[in-house]
Formats: sequence, structure tokens, C-alpha cells
Amino acid sequence: MTLSGIKSKPVYAPLRADPAGRRHLLLGVAPGGEALLTVLDELRGLAPEALTRTQVLYAAEHGSAQGSGGTVSLASFAAVGVAEARGFDSTGEVLAAYRDVLASSVMGLRVYVAGPESFLGLAIQTALEFNLNRDEIRAQVAGSLARRVRCVHCRATTEDVRTNIVACGGCGRWLFVRDHYSRRLAAYMGVMVDAELPGERPQIHEAFP
Amino acid sequence: MTDGQTITVDVIAVEQITPLVKHFTLARPDRGNLPGFSGGSHVVVVMRGEARVFRNPYSLLGPPHALDTYQIAVRRMEESRGGSQFMHERLRVGSRLEIAHPVNLFALDKRARKHLLIAGGIGITPFMAQIEELRGGNVPFELHYAVRSREHAAFAARLHERAGERVRIYYDDAGAPIDHDGLLAAQPLGTHVYVCGPAGMISRVTEVARRWGWPDSHVHWEQFSAPPVGDAFEVYLARAERRVQVLADQSLLEAVEAAGVDVPYLCRGGVCGFCQTRVLELDGELLHNDHYLSDAEKSSRKTIMPCVSRARCRNLVLDL
Repeated sequence: MTLSGIKSKPVYAPLRADPAGRRHLLLGVAPGGEALLTVLDELRGLAPEALTRTQVLYAAEHGSAQGSGGTVSLASFAAVGVAEARGFDSTGEVLAAYRDVLASSVMGLRVYVAGPESFLGLAIQTALEFNLNRDEIRAQVAGSLARRVRCVHCRATTEDVRTNIVACGGCGRWLFVRDHYSRRLAAYMGVMVDAELPGERPQIHEAFP
Repeated sequence: MTDGQTITVDVIAVEQITPLVKHFTLARPDRGNLPGFSGGSHVVVVMRGEARVFRNPYSLLGPPHALDTYQIAVRRMEESRGGSQFMHERLRVGSRLEIAHPVNLFALDKRARKHLLIAGGIGITPFMAQIEELRGGNVPFELHYAVRSREHAAFAARLHERAGERVRIYYDDAGAPIDHDGLLAAQPLGTHVYVCGPAGMISRVTEVARRWGWPDSHVHWEQFSAPPVGDAFEVYLARAERRVQVLADQSLLEAVEAAGVDVPYLCRGGVCGFCQTRVLELDGELLHNDHYLSDAEKSSRKTIMPCVSRARCRNLVLDL
């Protein structure tokens, strides 16, 4: 349960290897690489032959966001002994390659995701399209908690929101960023904050570093 | 679920469709619509024999959109306790029956990107209704159906007519069994597998699925256990303050019901968990036959599914 008590707020946990999977697909962005190396290490201990059926998709930089830091080199995945490790320049490229892999995969796959929270949400959104359930995909936050915010009024999505209140990129309304989350939309809900008293807004502060 | 909430139906057609299987068509006496149901649902049929009452679950196999009748198919069991025998020998066109409302413990997962249905013998029945749901949609499906021989292949013609090439029938006497590994190794992501048939088939399919990395949430199975015959035993019902004898060929649930104590049930086959009952005292051992309780619950000696499980005991007190 979260501070707000809203049950849809995703709760992510440190990645654990699932040796029951037949194949393993790891996605990471920037500092998420460390978490992927940890889970690969665990997998190697539990089922060493599984690494020959394991693939890594990784972007050292988070695309638009700067100073993400804590990246790992592609070579470190190869050193663990995975079948394939592919590097990308942005989150978007990782997600596109991931979608291609899902489209050609067969049952028995386990997906592990590590990176900024918004990246996790987008990866899970794609997984839902392929009917991956909670026992097939797991995710760990590594990096920014910046949110994708869906305006409940105009339905535009504002990216990379770090503050409790934000101006909607679509309609300009001032939105309060709720913990109410949609896995299907991969976004938190934003609700107009000054509807009763126009212009009267609580103080804006950084809430999602 | 007491008998007060049942639906009265008449048998309006009986057909022997294989040497072991009879097909019954049921309708309301006034021919009004029956309650709606989804593919995979079953009804419990109440059979009032001379000496006792049987209540057996049977899958509804007609199209879910046609509610003027219900169709069920009953395989005659060699070591029947009397239920399937009653259905085969006593029911005629015009016989009146009580049935419970439909319940679905084996529903299709509508989020699936593909459905893989695997049937053995009389286990074909829930899939008959499910393919009616699936054939109009755009989610791909396959039905693999294993039977002893051509004469035992219930509904073969109807299946081919309704689902064409998406149905494949395997005849044991032709020596070409279902290749479970081949089927489960290469299904697209988002496939769900459903299996209904003999216990051996269900354990084989679930085991092969696990070997290929299928997660539990994509593997579905249904098997109604008939209550096994055992030794007679005695049970004390704490709340009713009654002592009840359970006969050798009677289930614990039937014995309790015969004593006039109602226990809520849905499947009567050890699947749904509805009749789970607390064990208050036990001197002896519980003989668990259900597919519902976990191993830990079974060994706790604190709980029992009276629809299929029994006891070998000097003293057993239930919270009933």
C-alpha cells in the first residue's frame, strides 16, 4: 500500500530470476544495467544453461533525460555469457526492438525490465498487448521516478513530469498528478487542480525526482 | 446451494451417441429460456433415486447463445456409484429433473491471443460450448481431441462442421497420440492452453507446459472427480449436533445432505472450493481427493472438501 492508499499505484521490487522460464529477455536503460547484471548472475547460479536462451536489450542513455549516469558497458553482458546483447541509443529504440522480439516469441518467455519508472510502464504496456501476465514480466526502478501524466480532461499525455502539479501539454490546464495509475495507458492520471477557484494552486514542488 | 434454488427441466431428447455416451437435451416445462451461461460452464443435476439422491456435475455443451435448451453428455462409468447409471438407465424423454444454476469454473481467458484446447474422451464437453464462442471471433484457436477409436469419438461430425480444420482428432487405436511437446513448445506469446480429460492427460499436459516454461496463469484444466468409494465412517456435526454415518459408496457431502444439513456447493467434484469445511477434531486421518486444497492445507488436518474427500478415523468432528 502506498502513502496515498491508491491501489493502482505500481509497486516495483528488485528483480529476481525465474528459472522456470524457457527463455529470458532483459530490457534496461542507463542505471538499470546494474540490476540486469545482478539478475543474470542469479540466473546463472540457478540454471546456467538458461543463459544460452537469454537476450539483453540495453540503452546506456535514457534518450531525452540527461545525466542519468551509472551505465554499464555492453561487454559486461557478453562477459556473463548471454546469447545476445544489443545496444541502443534511446529508450524508444529499446522499446521498438522489444516489441519485435515479443511478436516473434513463443510461450515460455520471461521479461525483466530495469530503468526509469516511465520506461517500466511503457514496457509493461507493450507486454499487455501480448497478454503477458504478472508471472511473466517483472520490473525494477533504477533511475528517475518522473511520470507520464494523462490529462483526464483532454486525454493528452505529458512526459517526464517531476512536480506535484504540472501544466498539461495538451490543454494547458494545471493538473494535480495523482497516484492513480493505468497500466493500459502507462500513465498516472492528472486532474485539474484549480477548477473550483481558478488560479488558486498549491505550491509546486519536485515530487518525482 | 440448496435444492430450493434449482431449475426444473424436462428431458426432451435422448440419443446414444457412442457405446458409452448418452446425449440429453433439457428444456423448461414451459419451454421458456434457461439462464445464460458461458462456454465451460457446468450444471449439477439432481437425481432422485429410490434409496438416495445423486448430484453430479455435467458441462453444458450447447451453444451459449441458444438458451431454449441445455445439452449435456453423460459417459457411463464402469465403477459408477449410481449417478451415471441413473442417467443412462432411468432417464427417458419426458423425465423431469432438477438442475442447479450454471457455474463456470473453466472459462476462456478472453485476453488470450490464441486458445489451445486439448480434450480427452468425455472431456470434450466443455469445449463444445467454448468453440461456439470462439468460432465467430478473430482470436485463433485449435482443438486437439484424443479418443479411443472412431466409434468412441463423440461429436466428431459436429466438431468438424462447426470448427473445420481447427479441430484435429487423434484415435488411440490408430497409434498417433497427441504430440504434447510439439504442441506446447512453439505457441505464440499470449497463448492459453486448456485441458479437460482423464487425470493422466491433465498431469501430462501441465507437466509438459511447465517444462517449456509456460507460467501457471496460461494453463487451465478441469477435472471433476467422482467421489471415490471407500470404507464407511462416522462423523459428528458440531453445529447441527448430529452424528452421521457415511456409507462406503456415499460421499461425505451426500451423507450430510441426507441428514438434512445443507452445505453450500458448486461443483461437487473437488474443484471449486465452495464446500470447504473446517475440521474441529480428528482422531485418525483425512483422505483428501480434491484438486483445490494445497498440500500444506491437506496435511494441516484442519480442513476438508466433503464433496470428494473421506476419512479413516475413530473420531471426526466438523464445523457444520
